[in-house]
Amino acid sequence: MPNRSRLEASVDWIRLDSTPDDWKRADPALLIGMLSELHLIRAFEETVLELAGEGLVHGPAHSSIGQEGGAVGSIIGLRSADGVNGSHRGHHQFLAKALTHVTSGRFAIDGIVTGEVDTVLQRTLAEILGLAQGYCRGRGGSMHLQWFEAGALGTNAIVGGGVPMGAGNAWAQRHAGTTDLTMSYFGDGAVNIGSVLETMNLAAAWDLPFGFFIENNLYAVSTEVHEVTGEPRLSGRGPGFGIPAWQVDGMDPLAVHLATEEATARMRAGEGPAVIEAEVYRFFHQNGPYPGSAFGYRSKDEESSWRERDPIARMTRELLALGTITEAQADAAREQAVQAMKEVAGRLVERDPESDGKRRIKPDLWPDPAFVDVGIRGDASELADVPTLEPLEYTGETRSGRFVDSVAGVMHHRMEQDDRIIVLGEDVHRLNGGTNGATKNLAKDFPGRVLGTPISENAFVGLGGGMALDGRYRPVVEFMYPDFLWVAADQVFNQIGKARHMFGGDNPVPLVLRTKVAMGSGYGSQHLMDPAGVFATSVGWRVVAPSTAADYIGLMNTALDLQDPVLVIEHIDLYPLTEETPVDLDYRLPLGKAAVRRVGSDVTMISYLSMVRHSLEAVERTGVDAEVIDLRWLDRASLDWDTIGESIRKTNAVLIVEQGAQGTSYGGWLSDEIQRRFFDWLDQPVQRVTGSEASPSISKVLERAAIARTEEVVAGLERVVAGMGER
Amino acid sequence: MASIVRMPEVLANVTEAAIANWLVQKGQEVAVGAPLAEVETEKAVVEYAAEIGGTVLELLVAEGASVAVGEPIAVIGAPGETSDDAPASPPVAAEQAATTEQAAAPEPETAPEAAPSPVAGAPDTLPSGAAGSAGSTTAGRRFISPIVRRLAKERGIDLDSVRGTGPDGRIVRRDLDRLPQPVAPTAAQPARPAAPSPDAMGGYDEIPLTGMRRAIARRLTESKTTVPHFYVVADARMDALLALRAELNEDGEVKISVNDLLVKAAAGAFRTVPDANATWADTVIRRHRSVDISIAVAIEGGLVTPVLRGVDRRSIGEVATASADLVDRARRGRLKQDELEGGSFSISNLGMYGVKEFSAIINPPQSAILAVGAAAPRAVVEGDQVVVRRVMTVTLSADHRVIDGALAAQWIAAFVDLVEHPVRILR
Ligand SMILES: Cc1ncc(C[n+]2csc(CCOP(=O)(O)OP(=O)(O)O)c2C)c(N)n1
Ligand SMILES: [Mg+2]
Repeated sequence: MPNRSRLEASVDWIRLDSTPDDWKRADPALLIGMLSELHLIRAFEETVLELAGEGLVHGPAHSSIGQEGGAVGSIIGLRSADGVNGSHRGHHQFLAKALTHVTSGRFAIDGIVTGEVDTVLQRTLAEILGLAQGYCRGRGGSMHLQWFEAGALGTNAIVGGGVPMGAGNAWAQRHAGTTDLTMSYFGDGAVNIGSVLETMNLAAAWDLPFGFFIENNLYAVSTEVHEVTGEPRLSGRGPGFGIPAWQVDGMDPLAVHLATEEATARMRAGEGPAVIEAEVYRFFHQNGPYPGSAFGYRSKDEESSWRERDPIARMTRELLALGTITEAQADAAREQAVQAMKEVAGRLVERDPESDGKRRIKPDLWPDPAFVDVGIRGDASELADVPTLEPLEYTGETRSGRFVDSVAGVMHHRMEQDDRIIVLGEDVHRLNGGTNGATKNLAKDFPGRVLGTPISENAFVGLGGGMALDGRYRPVVEFMYPDFLWVAADQVFNQIGKARHMFGGDNPVPLVLRTKVAMGSGYGSQHLMDPAGVFATSVGWRVVAPSTAADYIGLMNTALDLQDPVLVIEHIDLYPLTEETPVDLDYRLPLGKAAVRRVGSDVTMISYLSMVRHSLEAVERTGVDAEVIDLRWLDRASLDWDTIGESIRKTNAVLIVEQGAQGTSYGGWLSDEIQRRFFDWLDQPVQRVTGSEASPSISKVLERAAIARTEEVVAGLERVVAGMGER
Repeated sequence: MASIVRMPEVLANVTEAAIANWLVQKGQEVAVGAPLAEVETEKAVVEYAAEIGGTVLELLVAEGASVAVGEPIAVIGAPGETSDDAPASPPVAAEQAATTEQAAAPEPETAPEAAPSPVAGAPDTLPSGAAGSAGSTTAGRRFISPIVRRLAKERGIDLDSVRGTGPDGRIVRRDLDRLPQPVAPTAAQPARPAAPSPDAMGGYDEIPLTGMRRAIARRLTESKTTVPHFYVVADARMDALLALRAELNEDGEVKISVNDLLVKAAAGAFRTVPDANATWADTVIRRHRSVDISIAVAIEGGLVTPVLRGVDRRSIGEVATASADLVDRARRGRLKQDELEGGSFSISNLGMYGVKEFSAIINPPQSAILAVGAAAPRAVVEGDQVVVRRVMTVTLSADHRVIDGALAAQWIAAFVDLVEHPVRILR
């Protein structure tokens, strides 16, 4: 018989309920504030459903009616500098944060709608209707509500998608020495997604002042919570990660408030994250004005039993019992909220002159369609005054060193100068500079700024995104291999890439993501992609791919200056090369300038990264008089069309050279652009050199067969020559 | 497995040809190399030999009918295969088989350009190295690269007569660059970047080569280095010819130039000495039935040599009209490629520049060129008297492979005789 003893979780898991005593002791102003916010949110949400019923809300309107108590109870005690974010069902959290920001949570019961409150209601409703005066200029709509000033970091249509970014905000708050915190709201469905679970682990590991607020409303659309988890008491997730957890009745705003106070005290004291599970109920279906029972996944009885627990009714009952307000005041508070929303809606919609009895959006309130692409990325005005240097023309003092030492060297130099730079990734802090020496000496010389992460790319790159959005830090994230982008794809593409544009186009996301192409290293099918194509065809990212150490230094410096997410692609073949670089590591390469590595007249070869060298070698071998363009900047916005165009007009032929697999290749979109821009200048189809269809295998021979090197470029040049006809 | 026989491009730049006669019948066995048909183009009738052996299953084109180059003209089955095995119309699979065979064939020899070679049968489709385009040129549809369309428009080149050497017969930039370029290069024409001057103190400027300049350089170097030139020189008294010209121009609607009369005189000399109207064709000497004479026309940036055809059969008026038209179109860059090809002989006249005499380089594949100097008053002995006559010196450059010294002498004598007795020119 083995010895068996019971293990205990290292942290508390608490059920918290309010007592009559708690109500008596509570600050009446706090309770009136809660009642006021509850009424405003309720009336707001009723207006949204009404407009949705008239077809005036484009897209889903996820109503929070029934769940207001959780948001109000937890947010009314927060500071403006505290952050909150949430998911698709986020109106109530956003409003609670914005209202608390403009009122400090204090309302006069006889006049709850001040001018500032009215503005919050109008701009929020305008945003949900997609109108220019909304907080995100109408771009975000119901599911992307952001108002940084109020600490509303942005709601998210990917369930759980905002959680890693919220943790990044918390990291910045803590690292900046504040006692501010961030609370992230999500549902019982979202609790099961990787973003949430990875972030629980990461936030606990790094003691972040970060709250995981689970609104457990028992359903994810129509799926019941106990169908999809073995532990439907969702706060139980916390202790497994070393995070203390509270379970609380979300229909009781005071209980939520008390639990939040306990949790936030820990967070502000630097003791790390907390989980709060609030049991709530949405009175309506997933979206729209019908109850869930109408769709058959729950009963009318269940709905009416929860309606009896309506947080507004509870709050009113308690306040009347305490004698804090009169019945007339309670009724009037509701009336004020309803009236305010009537007026707000009246400013945004009008009678439809073309359709009797119907309303329409006031036509002049829509955003200008020309706004569609504005603010996908910044205008790069931040680079206006920085001095640039073109290594091709540099004649000053140089030093000789390995490429990889320039990678670590320029980062070291910038970290010395710029405290905002934070490096994070797997093993970047150990092994004397990570797995390749690319972060050498950084951990030693910059303690606390080089963060070895858990193996959770989605969470740590998302955390970097949250740091970037906060603005106080410049995260430099490393993916050990490019293929790991797929496990982090939500944060990389849905969040970081889109955040600026989706929330209105104004808030920058200055983040650098480094990764190394490793084709030729034998790491096989899941490590050897070239990420350029995927990033270049995804919105929001800038992409650089230096082929020389001197370019690397200048491009990294520019990337660190930019207010946009920038992918910096490296190649293991380049790391060991010894190269001359300018001694002074401060120089920047100009944005969007390619380098012509060889002047020629027969064909324009377009390449980047290690394939520039293979291209030049192939030119030597074949004797074709090719012009070789090293792109340096690969993304749609930064591509050097002037240099490309000038060359194509001269040569009338194009060969795009890259190393990796066909499917996610970079040249696909580029050749498409080229044939449309330069059709009349082409003498033959745009030719391409790529790897094969398959991802490179581990077997040395198969790997070689799957990728392009000099021999494949030679064959590409021969195709171009055949296309030129007879001499 | 039946194979499709397609209309061959029997002459460079010919896009269409007719079956003059079938030399085989349906059901007949043919061996590789056996003549299948006489194929007729605007320029020539040539025999077309079978490239595969087998049974003729179908003749798809009637005698006398014209079809585009590359169109199916016959179906040949494996030996022993009967016509019952042949599908009514060529099956797609057969077409593909034929195409694949073509694509696998060794690259056809590059015929020297502007040397129309009636050696039939070499498919003009280059094996395409480009990914997977197994399709052959669609009948009636010529592939032309976008930059070629643009340049042709800018340079006023009629692409109908240009031969495409790119994949699937696509007309590519090099095919245009090869042409004599009738107009000065426009700004849009890509200039090669000047290499940094080795002599920075600047001894010269570098002028980018135009396509015409390159063509002139290549062809004349080839001529002067591969064709054994020799020269015969003669003087001709021009008084009678000039008087005749004045008379002709008095009432004629068509203005006749001295050159027109010289062209006609040259044609007359060929009628007298037909052996001189011949050209070298590597394995044979080709004696021409018609007298086709190229006239050298100086244009901006170089020169072109359009051909006047059948000069011997045309009246002086017709020659003058045709010649004026060619000169005019040459200067405007409106010549067609086939107007620049063929002929056995050229006349180059620098008389208007006051040149006394010069010798010219033969324009391949022709076999002779006549260099004409100025007609100027000179002292001439007639009988025992020295008299003043307008005299012109002409120099004949001849290809010794075809024309021996005596033949050249006979020809130039016949020419001088006609010039000095110009009424015979008009006969
Ligand atoms: C990653 C992802 N998967 C699926 C969806 C579609 N979706 C939107 S809301 C939702 C249910 C979410 O349930 P829960 O997290 O409990 O939040 P609730 O709607 O109950 O507030 C689903 C499946 C999504 N937006 N994102
Ligand atoms: Mg739910």
